[in-house]
Amino acid sequence: MSESSKDPMMSNKVVEVMVDSIFRKNGIKPEEVKNNLSEKQREMLKEMVTDLKAQVEEFQEKKNESKAE
Amino acid sequence: MSVYRSKTEGTNRFHDDLYGNDYACQPEENACDTKDNQYAPAYYDNSFSPNFGEASVVQTADEFSYMEQESAEVIWVKESCNINVNSTDTQIGASLQAALQLAISIVIRLSIADSGDEEAVEQELMQTISASQVNKQKIFIYNTKDATVTTTDTDISVNIQLLLQILIALVIMIDIL
Repeated sequence: MSESSKDPMMSNKVVEVMVDSIFRKNGIKPEEVKNNLSEKQREMLKEMVTDLKAQVEEFQEKKNESKAE
Repeated sequence: MSVYRSKTEGTNRFHDDLYGNDYACQPEENACDTKDNQYAPAYYDNSFSPNFGEASVVQTADEFSYMEQESAEVIWVKESCNINVNSTDTQIGASLQAALQLAISIVIRLSIADSGDEEAVEQELMQTISASQVNKQKIFIYNTKDATVTTTDTDISVNIQLLLQILIALVIMIDIL
C-alpha cells in the first residue's frame, strides 16, 4: 500500500457520513451533544486531538522515510 | 446455490428461524456434507455450526464488536556480529493505535454522557474498522556481519490512519475542532 498521510485511504467524507449516520441511528443530535461539554473540556479535547494528529503524522512520515531508504 | 440465495433474503429471521438459516448457509460452507446433514437435527447441537462463517450476513442487534490485534516479533541473531535491529516503529504504532482508540471513547463518553447510547455508538464506530489482525514476523539472522534490520507493520499504520479520521470527524461533528 502506498498511500501517504496526505492522501488518506478512505475519504474524509465517507468517514463523516458514517459517523453522522451512526449518530442519527442512535438518536443523538450534535446540537444537544454540544451542550454537554464545558468550555474547559472542549479545550482539553481539542488539545488531545491536535496532539494525536501530530503524532500520527510524525509516525506516517517516519514510515515513509524508512520505506524510501 | 439457489437454495442459499432464496434463504438469505430473509436474513433478519436469524433468531426465530435459526435452523432455516443453517440450511441456507450450509451449501456454501461445506457443499459435500450438505446432503448428509441436512435432515439430522442432532448436528445443530454442535455450537460451532457452519452458521458462524456467515456472521457478517446475519448480523443482528446483539452482535458485538470485536477487535483483536496481535503483533508478535521474533528476531533471532545467531553467530553474527554488528547487527542493528530497529523495531521501535512497530511499537510506536501499537501504542498510537491504543491512544487513538482511547481518545475516541473519551470523546464519546464525555459528549454522550447522559444515556446508554454511548456504548452502542462506540461499538458501531469501532466496528467499522474492526479487524482481526495477526502479524507475526520472524527474522532469522545467521552468520552475518554489519547488517541493519528495520521492522514495520503496514496494517497498523492503515488502522491508525482510519482511527484518526474517525476521531477528527467525530470532533468536528460536535464542534470542538
